Amino acid sequence: MLTVLIYGAVTSAILAMLAVGFTLIFGVARILNLAHGAFYALGAYCAYSFTALLKLPLIVSALLSVGIVAVFGMAMERVLVRPLRQSSLAVLMITLVTALTLEQVLFVVFGSQSKNVPAFVNFPLDVGGVSVDGQRLLALVIAVVLIGALWLFIQRTRLGSAILAVSQDPEAAQYMGIPANRIFTLVMGLSAALAGAAGVIAGPFLSVRPTMDQTAMITAFSVVIVGGLGSIPGSILAACIIGFSQTLVAFYFNPEWTGTVSLVAILLTLVIRPSGLMGRVVNA
Amino acid sequence: MSATGKRNAAGAAVLLGLLAALPPLIHNQYFTGVFIVCAIDGIWAASWDFFSGLTGRENFGHALFIGGGAYAAAFLNGSFGLNPWFSIPAGIVVAVVLGLLVGFPTLRLRGPYFALAMLASAAIMQQVAINLWQYTGGTEGIYGLDTLVESSLGYYYLVLGILVATVVVLSLIAKSRWGTLMRAIKGDETACQAAGINVTFYKIASLAVSAAFAGLGGVLFAQYQQAVTPSDFDVFLSISVIIMAYVGGIGSIWGAACGGILLNLMLELLRGLGEYRLWVYYLILMVVLYFMREGFVAPLWRRLRGGQA
Repeated sequence: MLTVLIYGAVTSAILAMLAVGFTLIFGVARILNLAHGAFYALGAYCAYSFTALLKLPLIVSALLSVGIVAVFGMAMERVLVRPLRQSSLAVLMITLVTALTLEQVLFVVFGSQSKNVPAFVNFPLDVGGVSVDGQRLLALVIAVVLIGALWLFIQRTRLGSAILAVSQDPEAAQYMGIPANRIFTLVMGLSAALAGAAGVIAGPFLSVRPTMDQTAMITAFSVVIVGGLGSIPGSILAACIIGFSQTLVAFYFNPEWTGTVSLVAILLTLVIRPSGLMGRVVNA
Repeated sequence: MSATGKRNAAGAAVLLGLLAALPPLIHNQYFTGVFIVCAIDGIWAASWDFFSGLTGRENFGHALFIGGGAYAAAFLNGSFGLNPWFSIPAGIVVAVVLGLLVGFPTLRLRGPYFALAMLASAAIMQQVAINLWQYTGGTEGIYGLDTLVESSLGYYYLVLGILVATVVVLSLIAKSRWGTLMRAIKGDETACQAAGINVTFYKIASLAVSAAFAGLGGVLFAQYQQAVTPSDFDVFLSISVIIMAYVGGIGSIWGAACGGILLNLMLELLRGLGEYRLWVYYLILMVVLYFMREGFVAPLWRRLRGGQA
């Protein structure tokens, strides 16, 4: 029982990290970023290159990886997304094609085999009589800290208020002297950094492969939609529901059907609550 | 006939002539195969565009209908050994049923919510096709289907004929009152309801029509490959179809079909690049999407032809 709780919490935490960034950039800039999974894959591959190939210290490579992903995200927003913002479908397509291109670059550079990222914590820890590998616990802690920090940043700082203002009405915010475009770039950077960090800390216990971005993208998308697009608490709630239900099914029924069960749950949520659990009604 | 109408007819005639004449001229089994896949992709893209392009609801699970049609063909012809021609009506019926099943509960969903619901539905079917391996052959799929037409050139003409019929039928519906209503629903659904239009009926019927042609394409694909695999339900397939329609020009139907043909030919021309092929392909797509926000084929034709739409 405790095992399920712990593993469920770890899965939920990783899902939440992915989903919060995805929902943030949608909530603030109305960008449905289909390259979000690619940020996650890029983070994992950066961590692999720095630790396994360049033999840099773990903490340095982790920070470097997150930094690179954030810069990549901001560059994508500035160069590719901003000129197309008039059309939401064009933004959708350009981020999708960016993700596919990045996937191919990773495939050509690193090959299709899965890579092993060395774990940051290499020993099992004993939690209430259950042995859990240290990396998973570390992932849980880091995820909670990062999401908490993001929440405080948005709620408590001046820049955070600016982000909230832009998310409510970009035009009015602009009149108040808030540079909306720069806020979009900043938020895309934050969102990318969070996804990249998820890739870095989950890399050691997941298989790092060029196609990992697709699964990550679909899961993040599902979590965010179930939680309600644009709602951060909704995403966290949905991440916990989906994370725990996947773990439960994998433990007590049959791991083969985990994917199906969570997909059916997603479909049912949508049918019952068309705007997600905590979403506002959007006319997107 | 107006000047633009004449130019449209001339353009269509040249295009069709090229499509009909190229495979026998190249006279190469392999290239005929490429053209068959091109035409099937054209059917898929046109059917996607009919629903999503006209109603503005992006369907991220078109592979649900494609795979449904393909597996219907595989069960009837592959597993039970029925005459392969039965696959065509069976595939259409299965796809329409899937369309109705998914259409009713997801009707009121908008934008990204509808996209995810469709994506999830296709993914569920894919999982089911993998997990119920006793019946579906699991990841290996079902093989040993018969060909509909012996010679591949003959099959190509069959598929091309069906592609033309698809584009003509869907365009006629798009031009009729039905199509106008679909565009009105895209513009403002609430206003349509207020005006007494049965929005529910038109949305479901349009999804069913779109599903029917996608399923038909799925059958043609399965009978051509003589096999089906769970990848017929893949998200990647759905996404490829969307890209084809987008490159062709959303809402144009014939343009979407051309987008499917064009992208497939381009992918084939890049074959010499080896492992860099898809990379270059996506890079080209990125440039096209960036500079031609309305798509490529249909807007380009409008500019070349001049005059009013």
